[in-house]
Amino acid sequence: MSRQGMTRREFVKKGLTMVAVGATAPSFLTRTALAMNNPWDVAQVTSRPGVPDENVLVVVQLGGGNDGLNTVVPFTDEAYYRARPTLAVPAKDVIRVTDTLGLHPNLGKVKGLYDKGAMAVIQGVGYPNPSRSHFKSMEIWQTADPEGRVVRFGWVGRYFDSKCPVCEQPTVGVNVGPSLPLALKAESGNGVTLETPESFQWVPSMDGIGAQEQMELFRLLNAPAPNEPGMIDFLRHTAMNAVVSSERVREAVGKYKGGVQYPNSRFGSSLRLVAQMIAGNLPTKVYYAHMTGFDTHASQRGAHENLLREMAEGVDAFYRDLEAQGNAERVLVLAFSEFGRRVAENGSAGTDHGTAAPMFVFGRKIKGGLYGQQPSLTDLTDGDLRHAIDFRSVYATVLDKWLGADPAKILGSNFERVAFI
Amino acid sequence: MAEALLRKYRPTASNPWDYAKAAHLLSRAGFGGRPEEIERLVGLGSEGAVEELLNYDRVAETLPSLDFTEVRQALEDAFRARQARADEPTLRALQNKINRLYREKFQETREWWMTQLVQTGRPLQEKMVLFWHGLLVSGFPETRNPEFLYGQNQLFRRMALGNFKELILAISRDPAMLDYLDNNSNRKGRPNENYARELLELFTMGIGNYTETDIKEAARAFTGWTHRFGEFTFVRAQHDEGMKTFLGKTGNFDGTDIINIIFEHPATARWLPRKLFEYFAYLRPEDALIEDLGNTFRRVTFEVKPVVQAILQSEAFYSPAAMRTQVKSPVQLVVGTARALAAPASMVRGLVLAADQMGMVLLYPPNVGGWPKGEGWITTSTVLDRYNFGSLMTSARMPGVPNRFLQSIGTFPVTSLVPASAQTAGAIVDSLVRRLLPGVTLEQKRVFALWRAVGASRAAEPVQPSPERVRSAVRLIMSIPEFQLT
Repeated sequence: MSRQGMTRREFVKKGLTMVAVGATAPSFLTRTALAMNNPWDVAQVTSRPGVPDENVLVVVQLGGGNDGLNTVVPFTDEAYYRARPTLAVPAKDVIRVTDTLGLHPNLGKVKGLYDKGAMAVIQGVGYPNPSRSHFKSMEIWQTADPEGRVVRFGWVGRYFDSKCPVCEQPTVGVNVGPSLPLALKAESGNGVTLETPESFQWVPSMDGIGAQEQMELFRLLNAPAPNEPGMIDFLRHTAMNAVVSSERVREAVGKYKGGVQYPNSRFGSSLRLVAQMIAGNLPTKVYYAHMTGFDTHASQRGAHENLLREMAEGVDAFYRDLEAQGNAERVLVLAFSEFGRRVAENGSAGTDHGTAAPMFVFGRKIKGGLYGQQPSLTDLTDGDLRHAIDFRSVYATVLDKWLGADPAKILGSNFERVAFI
Repeated sequence: MAEALLRKYRPTASNPWDYAKAAHLLSRAGFGGRPEEIERLVGLGSEGAVEELLNYDRVAETLPSLDFTEVRQALEDAFRARQARADEPTLRALQNKINRLYREKFQETREWWMTQLVQTGRPLQEKMVLFWHGLLVSGFPETRNPEFLYGQNQLFRRMALGNFKELILAISRDPAMLDYLDNNSNRKGRPNENYARELLELFTMGIGNYTETDIKEAARAFTGWTHRFGEFTFVRAQHDEGMKTFLGKTGNFDGTDIINIIFEHPATARWLPRKLFEYFAYLRPEDALIEDLGNTFRRVTFEVKPVVQAILQSEAFYSPAAMRTQVKSPVQLVVGTARALAAPASMVRGLVLAADQMGMVLLYPPNVGGWPKGEGWITTSTVLDRYNFGSLMTSARMPGVPNRFLQSIGTFPVTSLVPASAQTAGAIVDSLVRRLLPGVTLEQKRVFALWRAVGASRAAEPVQPSPERVRSAVRLIMSIPEFQLT
């Protein structure tokens, strides 16, 4: 019996009946049916020695452009205090990690992870000719395509399209949030998105012909057929992924014991749901969670401080939960934002769009500490920082050393690794 | 090619003006309607139907206004208390009252707009209000005062098919926008770039037509444009009077000059026509087609109405690339359903919450880029929300929406949906499909499932259209891919 709690026969009964006519079942579903027999079956993957197939990646997107300089503070740099007369974090308040760098005081909750070597800060991450448009830069980070080659699928999605453990499963990627990020978009169409397990199911109505009959008719009405128009086909494909995944997600979440207190924030709830799915052994390689609100053009102080606290409290609770589950070693968290902010504050006690910024990696099996280098605050390009490390080097490291995939195939080039794994 | 696509659609024997095309027009230029409304447009002919929709000012305005006296009073009380240096508990109590009123009024404003969307006799006007809300984006929580969002909504309604350049000038002075993109604190010396950047990138030109320096210079020109208590104010002392160089021109520019220069740029003439064409017809239109529309737009000095008219009357608008290829936005889905089923006003709250659940929170867009479009609306999560919307309409319940919000919303009137003459399973199903999926021919096996939903196994089987059976069929029709498209 697989650890997923569903045999092939059960799956065929529960899932494939909605296909109704086997001959027209799309290949992804038949592949799924086979793979579901044992989702973590190593026979279907080319495992890399030393990279466990059970490794899970959690991507955290900090939307809006996180102010890197007020997150990892160069508290001995006079240029920092000159550029930020109202916004600079006083040297006495920072949580020191070196003689010149400190974390924002509201990151106290993750300092414990840093001290245990379970948090890496990669400084000065960016890419050449940076875009300061939210939408363009987010697209670049999500597709790993700064050259504008018009990549249609995301960097994580392209990993799903490679041969990877459980890549045949619709739940190989799970996004917790309102819309599917481009990063997870894959040619195979695999990957699901959900907000809460409760609303992630189709419910028959309360009256009429009865729930069972209605469910049966729902399946007949949604069975795929050959040669349907593209958008109809896409909708049926997505609905089937949803119905197949819905039951499995709710089953996985149902196994969760709980006990760890999460902060009362949207991000905290998202990470708790991720922890629930990890606890239930959902066959998932990549989870995606979101924070928004980092676009602090005005009255930045309170808003940004709250966001950093929300992030730190969420990550802290998440790892305590994973420790309690015995899953902490399986999970790596990668946090990024589409850009940092301008070195000098503006007249609204805020900061405008900038360039390079730190990325954060959390995990029990990483080599914590500082990587890259803090960009100079005086040697600027158009008032903005110069990047020290290309973000694709960070992706390449994670793809290679954590997911056991070939970064050159996914990113188009073999970027230098960063030593955090 | 483009000429052919933008050529006026003229009905022919092989490509007639019929129920399917009239339904397409009413759905795209509005939010659809009941079968008799579609039939009426068939009777008007293709040109007459478009003209009636466009010239909506012939229809009486039925919009009630919202009263914000209580919010204003609370803001004034707090202002006076601060001036009088009242103690901390007093100030906190006043602020709590403001926050509560903001929340209540925000929700009330959203329901007010939804009511208008469902009931308006001017569907194209509301369709344009929704368009502008998604293009010239403002929203909660950056804009906290709901009266400003209400005022902006009314601005969009007044200028719905008016002059785009005038609208850009008006939105640059609009309190909701001044708050949303921080121009209210854009001051000389250390300007705030937020508004200038999005004005160029998202509102008028698009990326690739200006430099980072142009953004910085435009931001300087907009310094001092702010509002006091919701009234636009130009604060000369905060305005940068220095020389600016913007898109190759140099002068002591202010915001109005910047807008004038933007509208001299060829990219601006194409920007809005592309957005409009994608909104009404189909995504990723041919470049030559947009070039043509752009020429029209420039010739009519940026009047919106002639461009919308050209789109709605074109061959392209009725081509296979356009017909039944658009994913309904959540608001399109809920408003269209409410109109087709003649849902009572009590359901408005449920409609707002259902659209929220599907990812379209009116007056609270995800970011300054506005709403998703096309496939972007569809995820494994939202596809189930959309299918479950059928449950809200037929039994006032929907997963993800707490029941306590849905207790008194009621449901649509079932008995009038099916004509008395429909006494067989086939006739009942046909009449429901004609209402909910106008212009769609379902595969036989799907129709068979719907016969079963009304309690029969073949078309000719005599069936009483009981409310339970009709609801069952409606529930299922709303849970299929075809219902998500228009």
